[in-house]
Amino acid sequence: MNTALELKGVVKTYGSRRALDGLDLAVPHGTIFGLVGSNGAGKTTALAVTVGLLRRNAGSVSLFGEGPFDPSRHAGRVTLLPQDSRLPLHARTEDLLWFYGRLQGLAEGALRESIDEVLEWVHLRDRRRSPVRTLSHGMMRRLTIAQAFLGRPELVLLDEPMSGLDPREAARIRAILKRRHDAQTVVISSHNLHELETLCDGAAFIEAGKLVRQDSMDTLTRRSRCVTFFLEPAGQPLPMEELKKTLLDATWEQALDGAELTVRFLEEASRAVDVNARVLEVLLQHGVGVLEIRRGSALESEYFSATDSHASSVTPLPPPGSATP
Amino acid sequence: MNATLRNTWTVTLHELTDSIRSRRAIVLLILYALNAVVATLIFVKVLHEMENQFEKVVGVAQAEKAGGTTTAMWKNRHFRELISHLVGNKETAEKLLETPPLALFFGWLSFFYTPLLVMLMSASRISEEIWSGSVRFMMFRTSRLSWCVGKYAGQALQLLVALLLSGLAAWITGWCRMAFFDPGANAAAIAIFSLKAWIYGIAFLGLATGVSQFIASPNVATAVGIIVMILFGVLSMVAEWVTRQPWQEILNALDLLVPGGHKMDLWLPDVAHAGVAAVFLLALGAAYMLAGYARFSRRNL
Repeated sequence: MNTALELKGVVKTYGSRRALDGLDLAVPHGTIFGLVGSNGAGKTTALAVTVGLLRRNAGSVSLFGEGPFDPSRHAGRVTLLPQDSRLPLHARTEDLLWFYGRLQGLAEGALRESIDEVLEWVHLRDRRRSPVRTLSHGMMRRLTIAQAFLGRPELVLLDEPMSGLDPREAARIRAILKRRHDAQTVVISSHNLHELETLCDGAAFIEAGKLVRQDSMDTLTRRSRCVTFFLEPAGQPLPMEELKKTLLDATWEQALDGAELTVRFLEEASRAVDVNARVLEVLLQHGVGVLEIRRGSALESEYFSATDSHASSVTPLPPPGSATP
Repeated sequence: MNATLRNTWTVTLHELTDSIRSRRAIVLLILYALNAVVATLIFVKVLHEMENQFEKVVGVAQAEKAGGTTTAMWKNRHFRELISHLVGNKETAEKLLETPPLALFFGWLSFFYTPLLVMLMSASRISEEIWSGSVRFMMFRTSRLSWCVGKYAGQALQLLVALLLSGLAAWITGWCRMAFFDPGANAAAIAIFSLKAWIYGIAFLGLATGVSQFIASPNVATAVGIIVMILFGVLSMVAEWVTRQPWQEILNALDLLVPGGHKMDLWLPDVAHAGVAAVFLLALGAAYMLAGYARFSRRNL
């Protein structure tokens, strides 16, 4: 596999605490890749170690198969949107991007074009002469996204890129990320699993500084092997015998409340679109109300099931009104 | 151009423009110029009072403006011999006496306030970027060394402009307020002292930049910078006072490692002394800065 980023057994400690505990990760070249994990799982640390902001205690990092981050080789080819970092407030938007671009080694003409392009993406062209301190929180966030795409880097690392963005801007950034899909490798760390599910080609679940699972989004969510039908009203009798005849190799699961019917099938035997057509036909013939059809399972439920053992140590909140122990 | 040098220059220019935008440079220039003007006015007034007293004693008419009697006294053979005796070196004394009094005062003043102003303005420059996290936007674009050296060079250029401007302010004040004022001689001497104060200030700038790389909190970095500066001053004073061996030898050796140990040599007009002192001071500045860099290059950002 042609990897843009590979981490092997990376360990990063803060005192006695292990933020990364032998993390392995391989991000395929040219993909949009999601990092999923609970707070403190090590996602931000992994990104910071990748670009050398944090020093690792053990393990190896390789960018484009060329070894760890080295400014002389990778400056301008790898960029980062850090999570909790403030831009210099006195600089003007355009001047700041100009400064960053020059540091990346961009020539004046290319840099001018690139600044126009990224400011257009993030809707800040009209604020190009504004000092950063006059921008709203959301605008500053957009500017940090813009700096990450300056000069068309090969690998872009985004730590919680959509936090603080209004829904319209978030949708716009998602569209931009999708469009750039083939040109660059983009790694996104986010808690918004629905967003990652729609954006990413692959994802890794990280917990307690370790990789729990990594795969393509299709495999993780079983998009090509599973279709779920949301039924209304819940609990109505289903024509199971007839349904089973339509797909002999499939397995059928009905939710306890009867509101969902999940069909799992062999990828080699059937295509999701055919399964959908056949099952839907039977359901409609028998007057079963179908509200929604979803291909695959939600990334969220896959993440929960993959990381249950890590989450089980979390103490549930006491019910309202109960005494604090 | 080599990428490291190019990036260092880019950071230097950005440091200058950022200081102007943040009004930091404006504050710096106003502080230096105001300091020079006020101190020169006080100097001229004190000089005038002293001359009036002197003129009263010798029974000559009192001048309306300062400078006349001093200029005459400065050229007096007995006075020059007295100064030669005090300095301990006739040639050095003669050279110093060729310097206009206002320029000597400006030199003393610049050497006195430059270290403190450098600490106040520069010891937080890197630490505030570590503190706010803005450093993270740059460290994947250039090497840590070129960034630090660029910040150092940008601050050094600002300091040079500030000192030259304060020299100009002192020169204009003297020209307006002194009766006998040689514009050419004063301008040349003030310019030389501005450059010497700059070299002296660069050693402290290295110290400020070094401390700033060690400490992530801007306020703590400024406080530590000032404390270290005071300790360095105390070391130089103690090294001068102590005569008991082997402490004198040890303290003199340690004194070579602080800017104060080279200050008097830099004052001297001959190139042999001043040149060596300048090289030492520039090297000390670089050494302090690189000592800080040894920490910064390995720190988590």
